[in-house]
Amino acid sequence: MRSKRTIPVAAATAAVLLGAAGVWAQETPLPKNSIKFNVDNSPLSLVSASYDQSRSTARGAAMVLDLDIDVTLRNTSPNRIRGITLRVTSQEAFMGGKGSVTRASLNVGQGESFTVPIQMQLVRPTQVSAGPLVQVDLDGVLFQDLSFYGTDRLNSRRYLTACETEAQRDREHFKQILARQGKDGLAQAMRESIDRQKDLPALDVRVRHGNGAAVASAGLASEHEAQFAFLQFPDSPVRPLGGSVRIAGNQASEPEIDVRNTSSKAVRYVEFGWVVSDPAGRQYMAGALPSSDANLYLPPGSQASVRQDSSLKFSANGQPVNVQKMTGFVSQVEFVDGKVWVPNRQSLNNPLLQKVLAPSVEEQRLSVIYRSKGIDALVEDLKKF
Amino acid sequence: MRHPNQAALALHAGGDLAFFARWRMERHLARCERCRDEVAAFSDFREMLPGLAEPPDLPWNRMAAEMRANIRLGLAAGECVRPGERPLREHPLFTGARAAVAMASMAALVVTGLMLERPTPALSTSEGRVVENTANGIQVREGTGAFRLMNPGARNVTYSVGAAGSVSASYVDAKADGVTINKVYAE
Repeated sequence: MRSKRTIPVAAATAAVLLGAAGVWAQETPLPKNSIKFNVDNSPLSLVSASYDQSRSTARGAAMVLDLDIDVTLRNTSPNRIRGITLRVTSQEAFMGGKGSVTRASLNVGQGESFTVPIQMQLVRPTQVSAGPLVQVDLDGVLFQDLSFYGTDRLNSRRYLTACETEAQRDREHFKQILARQGKDGLAQAMRESIDRQKDLPALDVRVRHGNGAAVASAGLASEHEAQFAFLQFPDSPVRPLGGSVRIAGNQASEPEIDVRNTSSKAVRYVEFGWVVSDPAGRQYMAGALPSSDANLYLPPGSQASVRQDSSLKFSANGQPVNVQKMTGFVSQVEFVDGKVWVPNRQSLNNPLLQKVLAPSVEEQRLSVIYRSKGIDALVEDLKKF
Repeated sequence: MRHPNQAALALHAGGDLAFFARWRMERHLARCERCRDEVAAFSDFREMLPGLAEPPDLPWNRMAAEMRANIRLGLAAGECVRPGERPLREHPLFTGARAAVAMASMAALVVTGLMLERPTPALSTSEGRVVENTANGIQVREGTGAFRLMNPGARNVTYSVGAAGSVSASYVDAKADGVTINKVYAE
C-alpha cells in the first residue's frame, strides 16, 4: 500500500521539477532583426542570409544566444575569389565582442555562389534587448591575382594573402611530386602528411592581452627570464637577433624579440612562430608572436623589437605544461608593398617543425580530398588551380 | 478465581467504592481470604496516616478531570512507544520511501541545473578579457559574458593563438571545397 502511494507522489514531484527546469531553460527564437548583414557596394552580392535555427536560452542568471547563420554570397566580379573574411561583432550582447570567419582556399568564379556558415554563441548576464545582436560585415575579399577589396579592419588582407601564398606554395609542391613521381608518389606524400597531422601534440593556450601581469594561477613558480633559441631560415627577409620572455611555471609573459631587416625592401609586419618544450622534452607549438606596432616601418638594414604585452598560459590534457625551453622562427613577413613572405617547404622540413607545426590549411584540404575521395579527385583538384 | 486489582481493594478499604462495585467486592471478599488480607492491610495503612482518613477540602471534581486527562495522555504515549505498532500519525510526511523520494527529487533538481549550466564554463571575473579554445570552439570571455565561434562536428581542428590576443580554429569544410578559419580577438 505504502509503495503504491509513493509512486504518484514521486511522479508528481518529478513532473513539477522537470516543468520548473523547462521554464528555467526555455528556448525562444530570435527576433527577425537580431542580425544585420552588410556586404553592400562590394564585389559580392548577398544571395540569402538565414538564421532560423538561432535561439536564446535562459540558463540561470545568464542568457545564452546560439546563432546558427548561413550567409550565401555571389561573386559579381570578373576575378576568381580565393578567400573572404567576414567580420562578426556584437557590441550590444557582449561589450566589444569581435570575431571573424574566413573562408580560404576558395575557387569561386564570376557569377558563382558560395555559403559561409557562422555558428556562434553569446553569453550575457541579462536579458536580450531589442535591436541587432550581431552585425556581419565584409572585411575583405582576396582574388586570384592577390588583389584585395575590403575595409581590412581585421588585417584580413595580410592574412588571406599569407594563406593564398602558402596554398600556392603547397599546390606547386604537390604538382611537382605528381609530375616527377606520378599518382603513387603523390599518394605517398599525402599519406605522410596525414600521418604527420595525426601525431601533432595538442596544446591548450589561454591568452590574456594587456597588462602583462599574470593570468590568475594558483601556486605560480618563481618567475624568471628565459631566452629564445631560433631556427634560421636562409631566405628569410628578417633575422632574429635575440629574444626573451618571463616564465613562471606554465605561464609566459611579455615576449620580446629583436629583429633586423636583411632584405632590400621595407617591412611593415613580422610574425614569429613559437615552440615551447616542457621539462620532459615534449615539444609543442605555442602560437604566433606578431609585431605589436600597427605602424611598424622597418627599412632595409634597420632593427626593431617585436613585443607583446600579454600572458600565455599552457596546458595539455587538462594538466599545466611548464615551460623549459623556447624556440622561435620567422613565420610571416609583410612588406610595405603588400606582398607576404612565408617560409618555403625546405625550411619547414626542419625536424622540430615537422613534429609540432601543422601543415598549411591548403595541405590539410588536399589531404582530406585524398582521404575521402581518392587520388584521382586530388589530381583533378590540383588541375583546377 | 479472578481477583480485584489493587486500586479497587484500596478504594474499598476507604469506603469509596460505588454501591454495585462495593456489593461485588463484598461477595468476593466473603470467599477470598487473600483479598480480605489486602483490604485489611490498606485499612491499617490508613489508620497509620490519620491525615488521610480526614483529608482537607479539595476540588475533587477538577482533580478528577485533570487525572482523567493525564490518564488519556499516558495511554496515548504508551501507544506511541508500543513495539510493532504504527506511529500516531497515520501518514508521516518525511519518513522511509517518501524521504528517499524527496531527497532524490532534490538531487534531480541539482543535476538538472548543472546539466543546463554545463555548456557555460565557470566564468571568473578576476582574469579580465581572455581568449582561449574550448571543447568545440574558441571564445573571448570577460566576467560573466562570452563571445564564441563554434566548430561543431568539425574534424581535425587546428587551434592557433596569437600573442597579440587572438585565437583561431581552422578546419577543412565537409566537402573539402574550402577551409574555414574562425578567429576571436581580445581587443
